[in-house]
Amino acid sequence: MNTAYQIVVCGSIVPDPLQTLEPVTGPAGPALKNEMMLPAVLDPWASHALYEAANFAKHSAGSKVWLVSLGPKAKLQQVMMTVAQKVPFELIALDGPASGFTDAAEVAALLTEAIQSIPGLDKAKLLVFGGWESASRGAGATMQIVGERLGILDQFQGVDELKLNPDGSLEILERIEGGKHQVSRCVSPPALLGWATGNLPEPKNNPQVGMVNMRTAMPALQKAKPVKLAGESLTFKSVSLPKQLRETKIVKDKSADDIAREIVEWIRK
Amino acid sequence: MDVDIVCVGFGPATAGFLTTLSRQLLKADGTPAIESTVTPGMPPQILCYERADDLGFGVSGVVTRARGLRETFPDLDPKQIPMAALVAEEKVVYLLDPIGASRRSWTVRAADACLRAFKGLLPLKNDALELPWSPAFLHKTGGLVLSMGQFMQWVGAQIQSTGTVQIWLGTPVSEALIEDRNVVGVRLLDQGVDKQGKPGEGFMPGMDIHAALTVLGDGPVGPVGQQIDAQFGTPENHHSRDWAVGMKFVVDLPENTPLKPGTVLHTFGFPEPEIFGFFYVQPDRIASLGIFVPSWFDSPMRTSYRYLQHWMLHPYLWRYLEGSKLRSWGAKTLGESGRRGEPHLAGNGYARIGEGSGSTNVLTGSGIDEAWTTGTQLAESVLELLKAGKAFTKENLEQSYVSRRRTSWLESEARVAEKSRDGFQKGFVRGMVGMALAGLTNGRLALNGEPVPPYQRIPTLEEYYRGRISPEEIDQLGKECRIKGVSLHSALMQRCGWPAIPYDGKLLVSHQDALLLGGKVQAPPGYADHVVFLYPELCQKCGTKICIELCSGQAIAPGQGGVPAFDREKCVHCGACYWNCSQSVPGNPERMNIAFRAGTGGLHSAEN
Amino acid sequence: METILLLAHTEPDGTLAKSAFEILGAATSLNSSLAGSKIIAGLVGETVQSAADSIAKCGAVKFLGVAGADFAPSRYASDAAAAEAICRAANASLILAPATARWNRVLPAVAQRLGGHADTHITGIEASNGSISVNRWYYRQRMEASLQRKGRPWFILLEPGSQPAWGGERAPAKMETINVNLPETCKRTTVVGLREPTADAQTIRPDADLLLVAGAGWTKKQADGQPHVKEAEKLILGCLKLARASLGSSKSLVDLSGEGQATLSFLTHLNQIGQTGSTPRHAKGLATCCHGEEPHTVGWRFVNERRAINLDPGCGWARGKADVLYVADAFTVVAKVNELLAEKPAA
Ligand SMILES: Cc1cc2nc3c(=O)[nH]c(=O)nc-3n(C[C@H](O)[C@H](O)[C@H](O)COP(=O)(O)OP(=O)(O)OC[C@H]3O[C@@H](n4cnc5c(N)ncnc54)[C@H](O)[C@@H]3O)c2cc1C
Ligand SMILES: Cc1cc2nc3c(=O)[nH]c(=O)nc-3n(C[C@H](O)[C@H](O)[C@H](O)COP(=O)(O)OP(=O)(O)OC[C@H]3O[C@@H](n4cnc5c(N)ncnc54)[C@H](O)[C@@H]3O)c2cc1C
Ligand code: SF4
Ligand code: SF4
Repeated sequence: MNTAYQIVVCGSIVPDPLQTLEPVTGPAGPALKNEMMLPAVLDPWASHALYEAANFAKHSAGSKVWLVSLGPKAKLQQVMMTVAQKVPFELIALDGPASGFTDAAEVAALLTEAIQSIPGLDKAKLLVFGGWESASRGAGATMQIVGERLGILDQFQGVDELKLNPDGSLEILERIEGGKHQVSRCVSPPALLGWATGNLPEPKNNPQVGMVNMRTAMPALQKAKPVKLAGESLTFKSVSLPKQLRETKIVKDKSADDIAREIVEWIRK
Repeated sequence: MDVDIVCVGFGPATAGFLTTLSRQLLKADGTPAIESTVTPGMPPQILCYERADDLGFGVSGVVTRARGLRETFPDLDPKQIPMAALVAEEKVVYLLDPIGASRRSWTVRAADACLRAFKGLLPLKNDALELPWSPAFLHKTGGLVLSMGQFMQWVGAQIQSTGTVQIWLGTPVSEALIEDRNVVGVRLLDQGVDKQGKPGEGFMPGMDIHAALTVLGDGPVGPVGQQIDAQFGTPENHHSRDWAVGMKFVVDLPENTPLKPGTVLHTFGFPEPEIFGFFYVQPDRIASLGIFVPSWFDSPMRTSYRYLQHWMLHPYLWRYLEGSKLRSWGAKTLGESGRRGEPHLAGNGYARIGEGSGSTNVLTGSGIDEAWTTGTQLAESVLELLKAGKAFTKENLEQSYVSRRRTSWLESEARVAEKSRDGFQKGFVRGMVGMALAGLTNGRLALNGEPVPPYQRIPTLEEYYRGRISPEEIDQLGKECRIKGVSLHSALMQRCGWPAIPYDGKLLVSHQDALLLGGKVQAPPGYADHVVFLYPELCQKCGTKICIELCSGQAIAPGQGGVPAFDREKCVHCGACYWNCSQSVPGNPERMNIAFRAGTGGLHSAEN
Repeated sequence: METILLLAHTEPDGTLAKSAFEILGAATSLNSSLAGSKIIAGLVGETVQSAADSIAKCGAVKFLGVAGADFAPSRYASDAAAAEAICRAANASLILAPATARWNRVLPAVAQRLGGHADTHITGIEASNGSISVNRWYYRQRMEASLQRKGRPWFILLEPGSQPAWGGERAPAKMETINVNLPETCKRTTVVGLREPTADAQTIRPDADLLLVAGAGWTKKQADGQPHVKEAEKLILGCLKLARASLGSSKSLVDLSGEGQATLSFLTHLNQIGQTGSTPRHAKGLATCCHGEEPHTVGWRFVNERRAINLDPGCGWARGKADVLYVADAFTVVAKVNELLAEKPAA
């Protein structure tokens, strides 16, 4: 059984995870303070999806990977300079906000449109990948809506593994409660997979892959379509940081016995 | 892989190079103005490899006259660049020691006593004297206060959007490829190796990138620059022996701060006379501030972090800083040898630009503009050679690039600066006088004092603390710290009267917290350690272990059997360990016992 | 006037999980603070009657169900069809559902199908003056937002554990079953089973109540100038077992093992908590012999109650990172803790 797949990965950028984030409220609703100054990375779960896609494509001759990304063009360009060396893909860039405060459904509508505009798209070969949640909105809703809009009825979230069975069916491991995985089998594409971490290590930087990717990524960035989100269905009442510091009670002069008793009481509570 | 030009490092020097170059590679109609030799029909293929994980993570520097920058960007508007402001006010401030713990020579002490005695006459406030006048050579009038990180992102985006240059991030160059004394390209770092560099899972040997021209802009401690120096030697009497590590905080000033954007303060005198401080105010109540700890501060207990905290707590500064919040933190080496450290600027197939080419001017305290300008000069030369169809030979590069550099303001100012700091070799007061003399007489006068290699200047702990802490006590404290696996300077400084730092969780935080909250330091797995102790037996015998004390990230800690342990995940690639070692290696009096190689990771802040 | 649909799926044994009762708790309180609203219960699963009986007295005006073998597995296509059918039948304006893996997979898409909206991972819900706001976290739990929507139907998926559960007696419920004919296109996926993690007691167990964190201090020289690693191992393992705790560690401690130093034999990098380690969710955390540096404690973001035992009153925990810091020798305290835990709890 040899099928060439068309794998479309949806993934945008998020602030580098170690940055200090602070919400501010602007005329267009909440945003991050100095959002454009914060270094960005490809959303971690979407990165896993991308690596899994590349790996899957590598093992099915003739397959191809696209990365559909909605974000501010300048930031996307910068992030591509680390991502593009990892695995081969063709970039489809949409120039718009990457904020977590946008509505998942609106983002999904734009992503769907971008996917549908891929020339020669064949649903019988189509696998739509993405992160199961973003590190910004963290809703885990965008991909389902993309799938629904594309009419894909076989969807999986929190995916940690995708295997191709000899008969061409797909075997998928999804994260469920209690640290377990649900194992499902889907007869054939199209299917949509929202990835958790998967099993692959981060691919090494490959300069040749980078050179090839940039041949299409630069033009894609240059002609990235500016898009706007209406943001009308969602109203934010407030966005705030949690209280950072606790009031620490320092217990200094108690005997070890008393302390142990207090701790055991607390454990059993 | 074959390309036309490969650049090592994306600092201001390479940014100047690529900005100038990328503007002239395409005609208005988008067709190549110059053709590539490796992919005919296309413009030259130009790659730049930067080891840091993002644009602007590996740089520092904030106030500049911006002469070179303005030549490239005549309409430069600071408002386009986040955190940039025009210089508005400059002050030089002498800080007295309000604590009495700093080590001041009798001359400094006498001067301090005078200042305090004439308190009524002098504008002495907050234990500091604002100099009523400062020499013109220090002025940055008309210049800019910048966040180099933000500036580099701004420039980087412009360069890349031309589509003619690719700047690959998180990709260190391990070495230059040399064939028959020609540099023919670079080799990237091996991936998928263990700490010692042994191949492991997913091993991918560093790829060779062949290029007609290799541009070295890897900064003051760049490993490729080191390799070239080792391979081709340095011009006679040129050596890099003067160094400093600059450590900085970027902070949010309190809401009611009286400081205006564009304010520039330079301090000296405290926490130790040898330590200089800077404080630059940016828009939106942001300030960048920090200190320089130089190699000629003859102390085995050099630590930048602890000193930086004491400096911030000086009453003159603390009145501005109280209530501030840490945004970013970082450290980086400054090559202070300037023109005296200048290597061969070009050879067959390569050219050197930026601080690693000796461009930094210590007298004027300026490196960015100079680095940038070396880059633009090289770019103009490269365009000239490409258009003339000439090869990148040593001769051709010397005729174009080197001669351009020699006839520019870079050279004349570097000559003035060349000897200006030698006075510091013999003490702080002499140094200050020497610097003033050289600056005011355009280099005609200077106080001599040939710099010696840094390791020769490091006294033993016992010598340094003679009369203050007994050898037995030093030994005892040393043992305790080794058990805890921590450096020794805090214990010794405390013992000498430096008060404990009153942590507030906002600005005054532990060193580890600064790494995380400010520097956001991290390192990807699968790369070899880039800091290596070359001769472990030298470490075993080493008494000061200054590498541990000085390490900007606490990445070097006491290790097994007396050999320090290195933790890549805390290293900020400041390069200070490269010149902070108390032992030279056998057979090379200019090289010390730590190898500083190409490595990944480090700071993840784009605000420094 | 809102029609609140409580949408739950049953478990393989036909019961409702605790998270479903929590939704009911939220639904009933919402119902009472909204004028003119009503609750309808909607259930999906292989069998639904018994589940309906368990919530019969919740005040729902109607019990709708989609049942049958086709609806037993947790599968997108069949779940979407069932949820869609119930929502339509109920004509619901607000759909409250537990944010289980099964519902998370499908409900945002069902909202899309119905022209509505969905918000997931909701941790709080309230109504005042007839308008409803929900709370959720953004940027990996870094900031909390309160938001509202005008459009309906509005699907609100509440995080398990975030709401007080409804408690009421069982009674026979009058079920209205909706027939959903599942086309073959909805059966292309089959669920073939579950895979359980290998039971390794020493890894981070998300289901444990308590996270016990061991720091490098356990392997350091103690007051007598000697390290006591064997004893440390015994104490830690004992505490893990007795308190049924999950084991975490600091970076320093796991790094030591990489360098061949005397260290706790059962630790690996998987145990590391912190910036470069993991960020587990446990109700309580107890740090022992760990200094509480920021790179470590950022990994505690989701640990609600935090206590620490450290010899050093100036350690990081003292600076607002723990609720209680016991300045004491962890060896002695943990030994005593184990002793007490081994005893039967007082009635
Ligand atoms: C704290 C501090 C404050 C300063 N303040 C000022 C100031 O106010 N005004 C001023 O004019 N100057 C200042 N300077 C000096 C100024 O920052 C430098 O002179 C300038 O950055 C030098 O530019 P460069 O491009 O030559 O090198 P660098 O800025 O050092 O850039 C070299 C680049 O090469 C990269 N690199 C190194 N090795 C490799 C490798 N093997 N592979 C790939 N990439 C590599 C590095 O990551 C780095 O990005 C300051 C310096 C410090 C440390
Ligand atoms: C970029 C970066 C990333 C990092 N990531 C992580 C990370 O993900 N996770 C992490 O944990 N660390 C991380 N670190 C390291 C972190 O900063 C600390 O170095 C580390 O957490 C310290 O571990 P520790 O507290 O166990 O050890 P130590 O700092 O050695 O502390 C040992 C403690 O044990 C106490 N102690 C000793 N004996 C006893 C006793 N008998 N009873 C009670 N107390 C005793 C001591 O008082 C001391 O406080 C990172 C650092 C950096 C810079
Ligand atoms: S590296 Fe140098 S300073 Fe550090 S221990 Fe070894 S010899 Fe001493
Ligand atoms: S080990 Fe890293 S952080 Fe420490 S001094 Fe060396 S380069 Fe700087």
